[in-house]
Parts: sequence; C-alpha cells; structure tokens
Amino acid sequence: MTSTADTHAAASGPSLDWDLIRRKTKSYFAHGLVLLLVAIMLLPLFYMVMMSFKTSTEIANDPLGLPASLYWGNYMEALSSMGYARSVLNSMGITVSVILVVVLAGAMAAYPLARLQNRVSRIIVMIMALGLATPNFVTITPIYVIFRDLGLLDSCLGIVLAFAALKLPLAVFFYTGFIAAIPVELEEAARLDNCNNWQVFWHVIRPLLAPVTATLSLFVMIMVWNDFIYPLLLLTDKDKLTVMIAVYKFVGNTGIDPTKLFPAAVLGSLPLLVMFAVFQRKIMAGATAGAVK
Amino acid sequence: MRARNSLYIFTIPALAVLTLFFIHPIILTADMSFTSFKGIGAAEPVGWKNYDRIVSRDRYLDAIWITLWYTVIVVTALTITGMFFAAVLHRLPAIRNFSRAALYTPAMMSFVVVGYIWQFLYSPLNGGINVALRDLGLGAWEQNWLGNPDLALYSVAFTQIWMFTGFTCAIFLAGFAGIPEEIGEAGKLEGATSWQRFRYLELPLLGPSITVSVILTTIGTLKTFELPFILTNGGPDGATRMLSIEIINNLFGQYKFGFASALSIVMLIIVLAVSFIQNKVLRDRENVT
Repeated sequence: MTSTADTHAAASGPSLDWDLIRRKTKSYFAHGLVLLLVAIMLLPLFYMVMMSFKTSTEIANDPLGLPASLYWGNYMEALSSMGYARSVLNSMGITVSVILVVVLAGAMAAYPLARLQNRVSRIIVMIMALGLATPNFVTITPIYVIFRDLGLLDSCLGIVLAFAALKLPLAVFFYTGFIAAIPVELEEAARLDNCNNWQVFWHVIRPLLAPVTATLSLFVMIMVWNDFIYPLLLLTDKDKLTVMIAVYKFVGNTGIDPTKLFPAAVLGSLPLLVMFAVFQRKIMAGATAGAVK
Repeated sequence: MRARNSLYIFTIPALAVLTLFFIHPIILTADMSFTSFKGIGAAEPVGWKNYDRIVSRDRYLDAIWITLWYTVIVVTALTITGMFFAAVLHRLPAIRNFSRAALYTPAMMSFVVVGYIWQFLYSPLNGGINVALRDLGLGAWEQNWLGNPDLALYSVAFTQIWMFTGFTCAIFLAGFAGIPEEIGEAGKLEGATSWQRFRYLELPLLGPSITVSVILTTIGTLKTFELPFILTNGGPDGATRMLSIEIINNLFGQYKFGFASALSIVMLIIVLAVSFIQNKVLRDRENVT
C-alpha cells in the first residue's frame, strides 16, 4: 500500500501535488461552511441557554451579550415555584404507562395482521391508517365531553388511554412490518409442541420484538413529554401537571418575563435533550425507519 | 383456517382502546357538529347551520385559506432545506452523523418551548433578531416580526421550518443512503459536477423519499396549533388565525362545542383529502421519473 503511494507521488511531479492541495483546501472549506450553517441553525438553542444565565439588568442592557458570570438565580426561582420535580415524575409515570399499553396492545394486534391477509385485516389496517392521519383536534371536543361524563377528567388513567389511542396505530404499523419479517417456521416448531396462539405469541414472537419496542418507547416518550393540548385540557389538578404544562403555567402567555421563560425552557427540554444525546443513533434510525418502507 | 382466524382475538385490546378514544369520538364529533351543543344541557339539532356558517363567513374561509397557505409555505420550504442539507451531508461523510443529529435537535423539543424562545427572538425592542440586525449595521431591516399582519404568518412559518429541517433532512439522507454507490461513481467518471450528479442521477431516485417527506410534513403542518397559539394567538388582526386556533377558541373560549365540532370535521376532511390527493399524485410521478 505505502510503496505504491510513494512511487505514485514520486512519478507525478509537482503539478499533481497542486491538484491535491487544491482539492484538500476545497474539501476543508466545504466542511467548514456546512458546519457553520449547522451552527447557525443551533443559534436559537445557544441563545436559550445563554439567556437563562443572565440577570434581568443584563438582559435589558445587553440583550445579545454573554452573561458576565453564570447567574443561577433564575433557575433557583424557577425550580422553587414551577413544581418541576413533581411534573417530571408525572410525565415519567404517564410515559411508562402509555408505553405499557401501546406496546402490549400494539404488538398483540399486529400479530394477526402480519399473518393473515383477508377482508377483516384490511378493515383493521384501514382503521389504523385513519388513526395515523387524523389530527387529534378532531377528537378533542368529544374526548373532553366523554371524560367529563365518565369522571375521567383529571385522572391519570384517562390521559394514559387518550395518549395510547394516539400512538397505537403507529405501534401496530411498526410491529406488523417487523412480525411479517419473522419466519413462520419458528412458530410452526412451537405449534408442533402443542403451544396455543397465546403461547406462540408470548414465547416465540414477543422476545424478538425488543428493537421495535425500544424505538416505539422513545417515540411515545417524546410525544408524552412534548404534547401540550391533551394535558392542557384534561388535567387541571396542580399535582398531576406534566412538564410542558408546568412550563406553560409558570411562564404564561402574555407579558413574558425572560428571567422566567429561559430557565423554564431549558428545564423543560433538558431531560429529552439528554436522552437524545444518549440514544441519538437509535432515535435517528427510528425516525427514518417508519419513513423508508 | 378457522383456527387461524381465531388469532383476531389478539386485536381486541387495541380495537377497544381505539373504539373508545378514537372511533367513538369521531362519530360523536360528526354528531355534535349538527347541534348547538354548549357543553352542558341538551344538544339542540340545528341541521347544517354550523357548516353553513363556516362556508358563508369570511372569517372561517380565511382560517381555512391561512391554514392551507401556511402548509404550502412550510412544506415547500422544508422539502428544499432538508434536501439541501441532505445532499450536502451525503457528500461529507466525516460530519454527516454529527450534523444530522444537531439539525434534528429542535424537532426533539416541544412546540411550547420553541414558541417561547422564538417569541423572544422576534420581540420588537430587545428581541435577538432585531438586536443582531442592529449590531450588524442592518438596523433598517428591523421589523415587528410578529406584530405586522403582513409578516406574522411568515415569521411563524419560519420557526416551524427551523424546527423540522432536521426531520426532512433525516428522511432524505435515508433516501440518499439507498442509492447504489456505483451510480455516483459512474457519474464522477463521466466528469459530472456535483450539481449535475444531484440533479440528473440522485434527485430522480429520491421520489419515494420526497413522497414520504411531503405527506408527513403536510399532515403535521395542517394541524399546527401550539406555535401560532404561543407566538401570536391568531393575531395580529387574524393574520395567523388557523383552523386549529379557531377550534380551541370556540371550544374553550366560548364553549361552542357544536360549532367547534363542525370546524373539526372540516379539518378532518381537508387532511384526508389533501393526503389522498398527494399520495395519488406523488406516487404517479414516482413511476414516471
């Protein structure tokens, strides 16, 4: 390898070196330019973090300057009055419950859809497709009325089921595609051992679903963490608020105070951004998995 | 065969949840849209009156128009920005994964937080954008980004484009990854420039990615609510009053449940019609190119 490269360089005089230098420069320039563009796209996030450490005087006098020192007072204020810890626990509890419902019900429903193709399965698939396309606005009014009549307003069970209904169609599509790729022979071996449908599903299919379940769980977590409308309408009890509602209630919608807004924004997005940093590959793969069918 | 059909029992939990919290509500919405239901008391049937009101008043036709126009702007821009970054990053493998994740970060954040940050960036006096323009000596370009009725919709759209460029970029990058490498190599040997390779070799093969990206971003954008709600709350002068804002205002501002339901049904019809037409047109195009 080295020897060929050496002879090559020796044989081809200075003209080729210039070409190489030109190409290298061009390549560095291209990389630098694209990284600069990406950095510009991230400026609003940098702005958010920077502003959260500024005192109100600094914000007024030098709106774009870096803070003189890291001022933690805004965070102290936000942490003491927005009920952050409580809301994080609530969001996590709701997330875990929704994941359990969506994963179990979704995988179960996907199993027959992956194995049988007839009119029944086509109708079910159509319902799922409708569920994927329907904006949650269409169902908000009646869900509010139903919840009120059933006494589910302000209950964790209610909001878990409402969220689950939003993500179930996606889960069914994910799992159907995945199960369809599992060889039927695996099941037949189990059936010869006199396993019933449920045992085949539980002992043969379910253990193979871990990769989809992981991706799906991340999607559910992102939705539950960031969704605004459902918890805004369905939860009013101060002790049950999710993180985004806690942020919204703390900051308000009029006469916004930057010393409240920016720390709340950072605290509100921090857990998901940390998770994104850790599971970046998984999330990026999942984000496009659904798209590239 | 009978034994296999018993597998359908497995769909019961999912169908139960979906029936209770999706199908039943849709039917109820359709039902309520023909009443003057106020949230409590009896629902008086009013026939087509709610729909009549929607199609005969400029206010609601404007809301539909604004929603559609906003979607056209955002989807077109997202296709271009995502395609730009994907095409460039496809050629720069050293920084591809890092940049893809960095660009995707805003899409991981909630609309509420993004709305707050940009509301401050856009604010007329001490907002980040106007101050930056002043510092760069471009003070003449300062604007009341969210207060000017001619600009507000585009400012909101810009925020949404910023938020989801990483999303379309990721979809297109996956499309680029599916193109056989020999095609690019052949192009290079023939002396095709980077642009020519993109335009004549890669773009025609990205049809399926474009279809997916356009349909997903369209469905997502048609139901935009949080950004205009936080940034402008429909103002100024109704310039950003989309269908979604109108629905929530009727519902929780005025308790007009019947009318809000009619608006919801209109929204559902628009979303289904648009995605059906797009699917048809884009899939047909894929086969031609």
